[in-house]
Amino acid sequence: MSGIEILQIWVAAFFTLAIFSFLYKDNPFFKLAEHVFAGLSAGYYVGLVWKSIILQQLWYPMMAGEWLLVFPAMLGALMFARLVPKISWVSRVSLAFVMGTTAGVFLVSQLNGMILPQMQATMLPLVLSEGAGATLMALVMVIGVISTLIYFYFSKEHTGALGVTAKVGVWFIMIAFGAHFGYTVMARVSLLIGRVNFLYEDWLGTFLLIF
Amino acid sequence: MFDRRWIYLLVALAVIFPLIVPATFKVHITPEARQLFDAIEALPDSSIVMLTFDYYPSTLAETEPISVAALHHLFRKDCRVLTMTTIPLGGPSIAERVTRALAKEHGKVYGVDYVNLGFKYNYVAVLKGMGTSIEAIYPMDNSSTPLSELPMMESIRNYDDISFIFVVSDNAIVDYWISIVNAEYATPVGIGVTAVSAPKYYAFISSGQVTGLLGGMKGAAEYERLVKAEGMALKGMAMQSLVHLLIIALVIIGNIGFFASRRARRRATA
Amino acid sequence: MRRVAPVIIAFLSGFVTVISFCFNPDKTVLGGIEPRVLSWVTIVGGFTLLLGVVSITRVNWQAVHRKKEGWPYKFLTLVAMYVMAVPAMLPSSWSPLFGDAEGSIYDWLFMHIDAPMMGTMFAMLAFYIASAAYRAFRARNPESTLLLAAAVLVMLWRVPMGEAFLRLFGENVPGFINTYLMNGVNAAVQRGIVIGAALGAASMSLRIMLGIERTYMGKG
Repeated sequence: MSGIEILQIWVAAFFTLAIFSFLYKDNPFFKLAEHVFAGLSAGYYVGLVWKSIILQQLWYPMMAGEWLLVFPAMLGALMFARLVPKISWVSRVSLAFVMGTTAGVFLVSQLNGMILPQMQATMLPLVLSEGAGATLMALVMVIGVISTLIYFYFSKEHTGALGVTAKVGVWFIMIAFGAHFGYTVMARVSLLIGRVNFLYEDWLGTFLLIF
Repeated sequence: MFDRRWIYLLVALAVIFPLIVPATFKVHITPEARQLFDAIEALPDSSIVMLTFDYYPSTLAETEPISVAALHHLFRKDCRVLTMTTIPLGGPSIAERVTRALAKEHGKVYGVDYVNLGFKYNYVAVLKGMGTSIEAIYPMDNSSTPLSELPMMESIRNYDDISFIFVVSDNAIVDYWISIVNAEYATPVGIGVTAVSAPKYYAFISSGQVTGLLGGMKGAAEYERLVKAEGMALKGMAMQSLVHLLIIALVIIGNIGFFASRRARRRATA
Repeated sequence: MRRVAPVIIAFLSGFVTVISFCFNPDKTVLGGIEPRVLSWVTIVGGFTLLLGVVSITRVNWQAVHRKKEGWPYKFLTLVAMYVMAVPAMLPSSWSPLFGDAEGSIYDWLFMHIDAPMMGTMFAMLAFYIASAAYRAFRARNPESTLLLAAAVLVMLWRVPMGEAFLRLFGENVPGFINTYLMNGVNAAVQRGIVIGAALGAASMSLRIMLGIERTYMGKG
């Protein structure tokens, strides 16, 4: 392992421990790490936009003769009008272009790619020839989807048949949220494993080399 | 009630202990992981597969092992791999580093066996736009080489030329790979996601919109086992097990305390 | 003008993408316009990232200039930002330290400072979730008992030690959890939520296109 590799492990370990120090209490090391993090992340965006948008999508193609790209470049520049209160409304033009296009894609994709296929997959025959297990699964799916949708339907008071269905929905939702909680625990623990493994294997490993 | 920092200490010890005393466990394969593996196995050799790096550095421990195992599988099958990311913070750097390292290991050549498209802003527009023309959205690859100069890209125009999309993600971008790309262009989508998002995507397994699902580090461990490439995920299973058992023990102790104090309160009021 | 023009632009750009769903991009003009519009969106949208960076600079510089509380930290944010950004914008042909390739300042700072910190921030949540599980996860009523039981089962099922424990009660127990809990009850609820959320997203998209929803424009 070279000196520079050891240095980069120590730098990463310092900032890792500085963030972890917040578990004990807020302190200057955490504050330092937090502010460096904010700065570096913002700096990363600048580098990214410079390369992937300004150079790759605007400058190089325009140099190759694609002059129509002047329009998106101008729309992008208009965004900065937001920083000047008197003309900040001008930035709405660019924003409206982005919002409108995104909304158009969204509208079609939500209807065509989410609502219809998900509804279609729920329209199941309730008695299946594959056996009791398949029939039970179909029942769980149909009752679960309908009762969940009804639980989140707030335009009518949950009384009578609606109330009973919503109550069934709560049971379904509680089981699903429980499963979700179990998975969330798993996710957070995995991330901790990643950092602890780095400190134990990589950082402590350098101690053997140094001392 | 004791100081919560004692709990923090217990959690830290539960993670560190298996590192000091290593242990290996058998990881059972779920049908969802098997489905994803089989779908890739069934692809003809040298098929074009898109592998996405739609995750932030914050979830590397969960997602990177999935990407690594996927690349082992794809390169061994001689698939041609097209990588990209929709994540602005770190996505391009991670995609570049992981793909180049694995390509080197498998002796793959950039531009011939794999291409990294990099990042473009607004994932909805990116995903939709690539349906007509990848080059319209990505005129150049991540290293600013025009796509027209890369031999592999000669036969790739849009999703019609891609046999399978392997999405590795830690956020809701998966929804759009399903609702835009799979729904409109019928390209099969397999997903490897963080454990937090995994429960949601079970709904898309039975609807047939997703071909296989890997959930979190356990999903990564399953795939590592399937492709016989032991990595960080399989190693992490011992630590993961111990912390889960600790948390379950804490829940049980907390509930025993809760019921004991409730009983004492009831007795006192009776 | 200040409000009507953006509404018209939002409608037209949305309309093009919706209607082009029905047209072949290779054989029709309208279908052919769509990829161009989408590539323009990726360009224009990217400028919002820069706008955010300018805002950060402004806010932090004002705090430094006026020597507000904690100003040295704000100064550090500015230094970190420019140390990261400036070398990334210089051509790599000048020095391997410039640009964004492996070995550059940009890549080094990201891989060895930014990425580890980001990972650590989220890793800390493991401690908080363990503490919360001990303090707040109670079987107070039938609903919370269901939640707790499902969580415990899934936590056991998703790790090898727990799965081995579950197999003591029957070889099929893990398979049962996968089939009936995850692919059954969980998938049904997630589907209900997905359908509900998609209906909301579709109606919001329509509201934006028709100019009913204008909050993104801000005041004035």
